[in-house]
Amino acid sequence: MPTNNAPLAGIRVADFTWVWAGPYCTMQLAHMGADVIRVESATRLCVSRVTPPWFGGQFGVNRSGYFNQYNLGKRSITLNLKHPRAREAALRIALKCDVVINNFAAGVMDRLGLGYRDLVRLRPDIIGVSLSGYGDTGPLRSYVAYGPAQVPLSGMSALTGYRGWPPMHVGFSYGDPNAGSHAAFAIIAALYHRERTGEGQYIDMSQWECTMALIGEGILDYTMNGHQPERDGSRDPLMAPHGLFRCRDMAEPIAGRPVDMWTAIAVADDAGFARLAAAIGRPELATDGRFATLAARKRNEDELEAIITEWTSTRFAAEAAETLQRAGVAAAVCATGRDLSEDPHLNQRGFFVTPEHAEIGRAKQAGIPWRMSGTPCSVRSAAPTLGQHTDEVLREIAGYSDAEIAAMRAADALK
Amino acid sequence: MPGPLSSLRIIEVGEMVSAPYAAKLMADLGAEVIKVERPGSGDRARTRGPFAGGAAHPEKSGLYIYLNTNKRGITIDLASPRGLAIFERLLSRADALIHNLAPFEMDRIGFEFARFHRLNPKLVMTSVAPYGLSGPRRDWRAEDLTVWSDGGACYLNGARDRPDLPPLKAYGYQAGYQGGAHAAVATMGALFAAARGAAGQHVEVSVQESVAAIIEMANTFWPYMGMVLTRYGPKPVQPLDTFECRDGWIFACCVEEHQWRSFVEVMGNPEWASEEIFDERFKRGVNYDALRPLLADWIGKQSVQDLYHKAQARRVPFAPISNLADLVNSEHLRARGFFVDVTHPQAGNFKYPGAPYRLSRTPWEIRRPAPALGQHNDEIFGSELGLEAREIEALRREAVI
Repeated sequence: MPTNNAPLAGIRVADFTWVWAGPYCTMQLAHMGADVIRVESATRLCVSRVTPPWFGGQFGVNRSGYFNQYNLGKRSITLNLKHPRAREAALRIALKCDVVINNFAAGVMDRLGLGYRDLVRLRPDIIGVSLSGYGDTGPLRSYVAYGPAQVPLSGMSALTGYRGWPPMHVGFSYGDPNAGSHAAFAIIAALYHRERTGEGQYIDMSQWECTMALIGEGILDYTMNGHQPERDGSRDPLMAPHGLFRCRDMAEPIAGRPVDMWTAIAVADDAGFARLAAAIGRPELATDGRFATLAARKRNEDELEAIITEWTSTRFAAEAAETLQRAGVAAAVCATGRDLSEDPHLNQRGFFVTPEHAEIGRAKQAGIPWRMSGTPCSVRSAAPTLGQHTDEVLREIAGYSDAEIAAMRAADALK
Repeated sequence: MPGPLSSLRIIEVGEMVSAPYAAKLMADLGAEVIKVERPGSGDRARTRGPFAGGAAHPEKSGLYIYLNTNKRGITIDLASPRGLAIFERLLSRADALIHNLAPFEMDRIGFEFARFHRLNPKLVMTSVAPYGLSGPRRDWRAEDLTVWSDGGACYLNGARDRPDLPPLKAYGYQAGYQGGAHAAVATMGALFAAARGAAGQHVEVSVQESVAAIIEMANTFWPYMGMVLTRYGPKPVQPLDTFECRDGWIFACCVEEHQWRSFVEVMGNPEWASEEIFDERFKRGVNYDALRPLLADWIGKQSVQDLYHKAQARRVPFAPISNLADLVNSEHLRARGFFVDVTHPQAGNFKYPGAPYRLSRTPWEIRRPAPALGQHNDEIFGSELGLEAREIEALRREAVI
């Protein structure tokens, strides 16, 4: 293999997933050069295709920023799996793939004749992946889960919230992309094993368990000490100040509304606090008995936060963060989507991509959070429009003739 | 049966969460991981709780114990030329190096890919840094909170009806975990390429970008519609919200139309539910201020478990707000064998969160608990690198190891 190939060049993935967890997994494989074929259906549109934002504010199944962000670099084929000829086509495609992945609840793929047991008889080295909410076994295996529900189910909500408030969420469907990344890792590990031994295998993933992996130290507080940690906002037991501080609103309102802005500040030790105190023009705070030590700052944290807010609230967030960073204090803008899109650092690093999309043209999308020096990863194409590659996939991978494809279409198998 | 990565040797120079989590994912699938810490104090995670028994102790940190299972631990002062020379001997036999030394620290001690590549052309070197290795913020100071904020996640969370309250971070070290998970994916990709004949290479992972990649719709609202998502603004689809039952909290989740219709049946088809302002998921988002009190009133009279199972019986993806005790006592997780028993020489016996994935042929397993600081110095410097006992003693005396 030439060394400048993408790391997963030549690997093909049949992607029966939908919404976000599975699509985020397979997009990472596509970033690494895998040929990912998303099997979709117009009879049951992926939730992300019918969820905003819409490009230019105009609804359309190919216009969602949500879908287009998380399906970069894939091909799309539409198959109506209720139709036997579509199931037959799906099976033919799956058997030409190295990896077959779904995120249906346990048992659905088996009923479609596309389960791992069926596939492995015909292709022994195949890697089958099930990325369900609760996993393939256990009394709740048929329960359904969406990414946002994983945050409360996993215990993360009970640990997250303002002090004295009820449990809160984390603000987005965090269980999904996290399960997607863990799945991508497990799949490449299984490919690695296959490369060395020739053996395929089956991977049973539970989004619930993947989410619990993110609060391991909290779980250990319970299993070691019987202790359920209290919610404490954005504060930290060993750092003060540690939180979000109000700044001036964004320079221009958006859609006529002011946008509130905040700067995150985290001070790990007394020397850092002295630097902060000097940077905000209050050097005397470093020797003030109320704030000189971590213990004192923790005792007087409300007062400390009020003093810092006096300084931040007359400044723009970026200005506050830059001033503090120049003084050697960990600080950053609490970024909105606009801040990210316009961020000089991210733009200079080439994080964003603007691939040509078949319907909406070029739109700015988040790119790949890693770089490889030898086997480059890249966003090879925009997200596919619904069924954009149906004919080419049926012809080139499943081996159907144009006449057969036309007959399947006439029979409504390709919807 | 060995894990799928049992042929791999990995060197970790990791602090806190990101690089240690990436190396843990590999160690738990069988890779041999050697963790290199600073002599004296070790990984900063050792100073962070929760501590077994409550009192701070470098060998009893739950954060350290969680992130460093299955690794062997040694100490080397990488800033000393002799330390770096010993480190290079380790690298010459390794498949991958995963680290999160700050970029300025890499410059200072000459921790460079080109140098390590000359020594071991097959080596995959993964550098995880808050802002990556280039760009105007490369050398910014960072803590988990500041990167979670700078990646766009923190702005999305907080009180829906109290815009005066600040955005709210998620529990723990979520920027670190995401940097680590993405680093594991990228490193595994490079190791797979190496197994197929590619040369070793340098993999760079930005934690900020790892967060910015996963913020759902928040990324594209600006370029697609000129809007920003906020913690207090209307959400496109509702209900996706937490409610108080008479005996605890539940998360109500109706993403698709059929889920809402089924939930309305579970509620006994109240009259208000048929009103036109609630008859479609986007309308429920727009009119959520009217909808929420109606839902809160009905849900407030239910018990969590009863409503959870009733909703799930109709394939509506509700979930309880689990406490940690609920997880440890869950029959489902017990049947799956999720929690495993770990015995740690200083922290004692406890249940430990287990495998996030089950590979049918090559299992995830705990082979050893997290190492004590420098626990494997003699074993690795002596029997594996061939240093003599008096050399090791001299290095120890001079605080090189």
